Amino acid sequence: MSDATTPTPDTTGAPTPVVAGTAVAGTSIVEGEATAKRKPMPAWMKSKKIQPIISLVLLIAVWWAVTSAGLINSLYLPGPKAVWDAFIEANSCRPASEGSSRIVCGEQQYFLWQHLVVSLERIGVGMALGIVVGVLVGFILAEIGWLNRIILPYINFIRALPPLGYIGLLIVWFGIGDTTKIWLLFLAAFPPIVLATVDGINSVNRDRVNSALSLGASRPKAFLFVVFPSALPSIMNGIRLAIGFAWTTVVAAELNNGIPGIGALAYLSGTELNTPLTIACIFVIGIAALLLDWLILGITHLVTPWVGKE
Amino acid sequence: MANNNVLTWGELTEKKTMDDQGVAVDIRGVNKRFTTQQGDEVTALHDINLTINKHDFICVVGRSGCGKTTLLNMLAGFEKPTDGELVSGGVVIDGPSPKRGVVFQKPPLYPWLTVRKNVEFGMKMQGVPAAERKEKADHFLELVGLTSAADRRPYELSGGMQQRAQIARVLATEPDLILMDEPYGALDALTREKLQNELLRIWRERHSTVFFITHSVDEAIFLATRVIVMSAHPGTVKMDIPITIPRDPDDPDNMEKVRATPEFVQLREEITQAIYVQDDQE
Repeated sequence: MSDATTPTPDTTGAPTPVVAGTAVAGTSIVEGEATAKRKPMPAWMKSKKIQPIISLVLLIAVWWAVTSAGLINSLYLPGPKAVWDAFIEANSCRPASEGSSRIVCGEQQYFLWQHLVVSLERIGVGMALGIVVGVLVGFILAEIGWLNRIILPYINFIRALPPLGYIGLLIVWFGIGDTTKIWLLFLAAFPPIVLATVDGINSVNRDRVNSALSLGASRPKAFLFVVFPSALPSIMNGIRLAIGFAWTTVVAAELNNGIPGIGALAYLSGTELNTPLTIACIFVIGIAALLLDWLILGITHLVTPWVGKE
Repeated sequence: MANNNVLTWGELTEKKTMDDQGVAVDIRGVNKRFTTQQGDEVTALHDINLTINKHDFICVVGRSGCGKTTLLNMLAGFEKPTDGELVSGGVVIDGPSPKRGVVFQKPPLYPWLTVRKNVEFGMKMQGVPAAERKEKADHFLELVGLTSAADRRPYELSGGMQQRAQIARVLATEPDLILMDEPYGALDALTREKLQNELLRIWRERHSTVFFITHSVDEAIFLATRVIVMSAHPGTVKMDIPITIPRDPDDPDNMEKVRATPEFVQLREEITQAIYVQDDQE
C-alpha cells in the first residue's frame, strides 16, 4: 500500500514521517477553514432515509476502489462486478465451457434462488412446528405450575445448547436427510417460543383477567379472549428471536449434505475457491435474514398494534 | 358461578329472607389471614360483620393496610375469606360473577378492542345477541359521554375517558352490586368532580348498590349514604355512619353546596378524627 504515490489525501498512507507531517498539517488547515465558514449540510443529506443509502454506496465504492486498484488478491476479495456476475450466473444457464454444446444451469445442479427457496422451506417447516408446539407447550406450562417447575429447566438447557453441538446425535437418530435438519430447526426455534409464551402468560395483568371473569366470561373464554391477546406481544417477540436463531442454524446445518441449500452452496463454493459465489451467497443469506426479520416485525405490528402505545 | 341458576331449598329460603329485608350482601364473621414470605401470619381482616342493603351507596375509608381492598376482592369473589362467609342472593360468594361488577383503580381495558367492543365485552361473554349488544353499548357510551370516542382504542383516550369507558363496560352488564376500588384516585380534581356527579346520577337512576373505596374523606361524604371507617392491624369496621345530606347531581354547583352544609363540616371532622386517632395510638 505504501506504493500508492497518488497525491490523494490518503488517511492510511503514513509510512514516511515527512509526507505524513505535511499531510497532517495540510488537513488541519483545511479543517480549520471548514469550521470557520461551515456550510450547512444539504437537506437531502440530512434525510434519515438517505443516510443509510449513502453509507451503502460509499461502502461499495470503497470495495470497488480497493479491488480494482489490485490492492488485494481477487481470490481473497473479488470485486463487486465479479460477485454480481457470479450471482447472475448462478441464476441462469450457460455453456459448460467456452464453445461447448453442453449447457449447465445454476450451481450444483440448482439455480441460486432454488437453493434459497429450499433453505426457506426448511426454516418454514421447522418454524411452523416450533410455533405450534412451542405456544401449546407454553400454554400448558404456564397454567400448570408443578409441570412448569419440572419441565422448564430442560427447555432452558436445550436453549443454551448450540444446535450444532447435537447435530451429530440427530444424524445418528434421523439420518443425514431433511428430517434431521427439520428436527434441528424445531429444536432451535421451540425453546425461545415456549419461554416467551410462559413469560407472556405469567405477566398478564391480574386485573385484566379478573375484570373479564366479573364481566361474565368463563375461565376458558377469559383465557382465549383476554389472556392470549395479552400474551401475544411476548409470543411474537419469542418468534422473532426464534426465527433469527433458526436461520443461523439452518445455514450452518447445511454443511452436511445440504445441497440444495443456500448455506451448503456458500460453503461448497468456498471450498472450491469460487469466492465471488461465496460472497454472493453471503449477501443473499444476510438479506434473506433481514427480510425475514422485517416480515416478522410487520406481522407483529399487524396483530398487536397497541404495543408501545399504552 | 356454578350455583347461579339452581339453588338448593336452603339457599332459596335464605334468598327470600334477604330479598324481603332488602339485603344485597351479608358479610358474616369474616376473617382473612395471610402468611407472609417470611412465614409470619398477618391478620388482614378481623371479624367483619356488615350488611350491605340494596340501594346503599357505601364508601369505605381508612388508612392503607386496613384491608379495604381485601374486603372488596372478597365481595368480587377474587379472594376467599379464611373464616366466615359473604352471602349474596342466598348464595355464598365463591367466585367472580357478573352480578357484582368491579371498577378497578387502573382501568383494565383491552387495547386490542375498540372502546365500543370493550363495552360490549361482558354482554358478548354472556351470549347477548349482537343487535342488542350494540343498542346497549350505545346507551351506556352516551351515559358516560363517550359516544364520539366509541371507535377509538383505549390507549387513544385520556385517563378520565378510560375510567368512564370502564364504568360503561361494567354498567352494561347491569350488575346488582357495583364494586369500585379508588376509581377516581388518579384523576384531576375537575374530572373527578364531574365523574362523581355522573356516578351519583347513574346510581339514582338505576337504583344500583355501590361499594366504593376511597382515600378521600370529602369524596366519601359527598357520595355515600353510609360511610364505613376501617381501622388497621387487624382490619376491622370501626364506624358505620349514615349520611343524609341532600345531593342533586344535576345541579352544577352540587359539590359547593354540599361542602357548605354544616353536616358536611362536622362529618368531615368526625371521620378524619376516627382515622387519625388510631394513627396516634400506634
